[in-house]
Amino acid sequence: MILKIENLNAEVDGKPILKGLSLSINAGEVHAIMGPNGAGKSTLSYVLGGRPGYEVTGGSATFDGQDLLALDPHERAAAGLFLGFQYPVEIPGVSNVQFLREALNAQRKLRGEEPLSGGDFLRLARGQADALGLSMDMLKRPVNVGFSGGEKKRNEMVQMGIIDPKLAILDETDSGLDIDALRVVSEGINRIMRKPGKSVLLITHYQRLLDYVKPDFVHVLAAGRIVKSGGPELALELEREGYAQVAA
Amino acid sequence: MTLALPSTRQEAWRWSDLSALPTLAEQAPRGGVIDAHDFWIGDGPRLLFIDGHYDAGLSRPGPVEIGRTGDASDHPLARLAGGDGWVLTLGHDHAPSGTIEIVHVATGGASHLPARITLAEDAQASIVETFVGDGWANRFTRIALARSARLMRTVRLLQSSGFQSIREEAAIAEGASLVTILLGAGAAGTRIDAALSLDGEGAFAEFGGALLARGDQRHDANIVLRHAAPGGSSRQIWRAVADDSATDSIAARVEVARGAQQTDAEQSLKGLLLARTATINTKPELEIFADDVKCAHGCAIGELDKQALFYMQSRGIPPHPARALLTRSFVAGALERIGEEAVRDAVLADAEAWLGEAA
Repeated sequence: MILKIENLNAEVDGKPILKGLSLSINAGEVHAIMGPNGAGKSTLSYVLGGRPGYEVTGGSATFDGQDLLALDPHERAAAGLFLGFQYPVEIPGVSNVQFLREALNAQRKLRGEEPLSGGDFLRLARGQADALGLSMDMLKRPVNVGFSGGEKKRNEMVQMGIIDPKLAILDETDSGLDIDALRVVSEGINRIMRKPGKSVLLITHYQRLLDYVKPDFVHVLAAGRIVKSGGPELALELEREGYAQVAA
Repeated sequence: MTLALPSTRQEAWRWSDLSALPTLAEQAPRGGVIDAHDFWIGDGPRLLFIDGHYDAGLSRPGPVEIGRTGDASDHPLARLAGGDGWVLTLGHDHAPSGTIEIVHVATGGASHLPARITLAEDAQASIVETFVGDGWANRFTRIALARSARLMRTVRLLQSSGFQSIREEAAIAEGASLVTILLGAGAAGTRIDAALSLDGEGAFAEFGGALLARGDQRHDANIVLRHAAPGGSSRQIWRAVADDSATDSIAARVEVARGAQQTDAEQSLKGLLLARTATINTKPELEIFADDVKCAHGCAIGELDKQALFYMQSRGIPPHPARALLTRSFVAGALERIGEEAVRDAVLADAEAWLGEAA
């Protein structure tokens, strides 16, 4: 099992958001979490990523046999967790290439691996950028600065491709994408993550993404817990009948 | 000469801490064998000054001469810098081969040294000055640029202790350009003073840089930039970083004289506090007596962007390198204005070294 969350409780600014959430993901599986606004979807991704201000008040999360909640955010990354941001952050003055090389080599160092040389890194970056339709010129520019919403999401996928994680938690990666960009990003997720031993947790509002990235399991998150789980057909049911009906 | 120092009750000195100077002024330099090898950047002309004394054996001065500058200033610190100094005089359309490098090594005590740079029409030069060691290094540089002359100055203030005081006075003629970019790093206190006058039509002046301070270090810059003729443009781009209980202060003033129409002046004073106990003072000032001018000024002091820090950490970058990377990107905005790549890289490496020292 790659991720096992048990009875997770978390609060933000003293306000309980996650209230006894449990979820298990095996290696090789794609899971989707759907749910209404305010259900705690983004909070779940930030808690798993270790964002300051998101306080765990109970329960546990085990990632690949380790206590995930005991690790710092950069240690979680090195352990193989990738967090795709709903709103990727702009970092003026730091180029994508510099940022990613530093990130990748910091992860390798923590895992006791040799750093990647400049040439090897650029070859890797170029391959991932080409696959996502981003030019190397864009990768030389500051991180996400001046990128459109779609370019930022594609850049997240380039980063994911370079970092090559075990588990990707993708928070509304489909939001703000037009149909063409959605297809490109979805192909990126499938190409990078649809492999034995790799798992994905998709957090989304809409069924549309799931037409391209087919989940093995779908969960409904409402009021801070998983209230229903099923196969891909559950997403269609949600789309047809609405959260209120299904979650009731 | 008795040491009469300005008091913090004077507006231009309110953020200064000159308290170490009387003691340093009475001490004798330790002297000794100096290895300045690490501080040279290129292969152009180079001059080494040890405690303000020219070391002919380790220098190859090119067009620079040693002698009386004949200048005097009524500035309270610059007036101490009389006697012999270095002089660069370039004739019409002349340019030395390569960047001129000057390294000032201090071994305690106090040294006062004047300099004069005179560029005739269309002459060009690039000069890098590097300050290392400890003690009080006090410098006064007078600059005269004739029509269309161009001077690029880079100043690396890297002393490990003591005090560095720099005074620059410049007159810039029609179409001439003066760019001075400073880096205050190291661990010594600093006072940077400048009075620049854009005397000719279409003159350009830039004066700015990055001030990095930690511990109880203090950097203090006080700039007066005067537009005396029409069509001139100026830039003051400063980035200040303060950690621990350190203080950075920048007072940057632009004066636009009556008749200096179509002046384009830009000021950007930005500060980054790495600790809540640090202080950054900024004082942008505009005094405008012409009616057709563009004067942009921005002033902002903040902390590292927490969102960006988490984003970087979520990609695997540990907290300390993440902070250093963000801080570097913050100061790079001021240092990337250095034209020559080798000099820019050296100064960015100085900044990098400072950032790498943070615990």
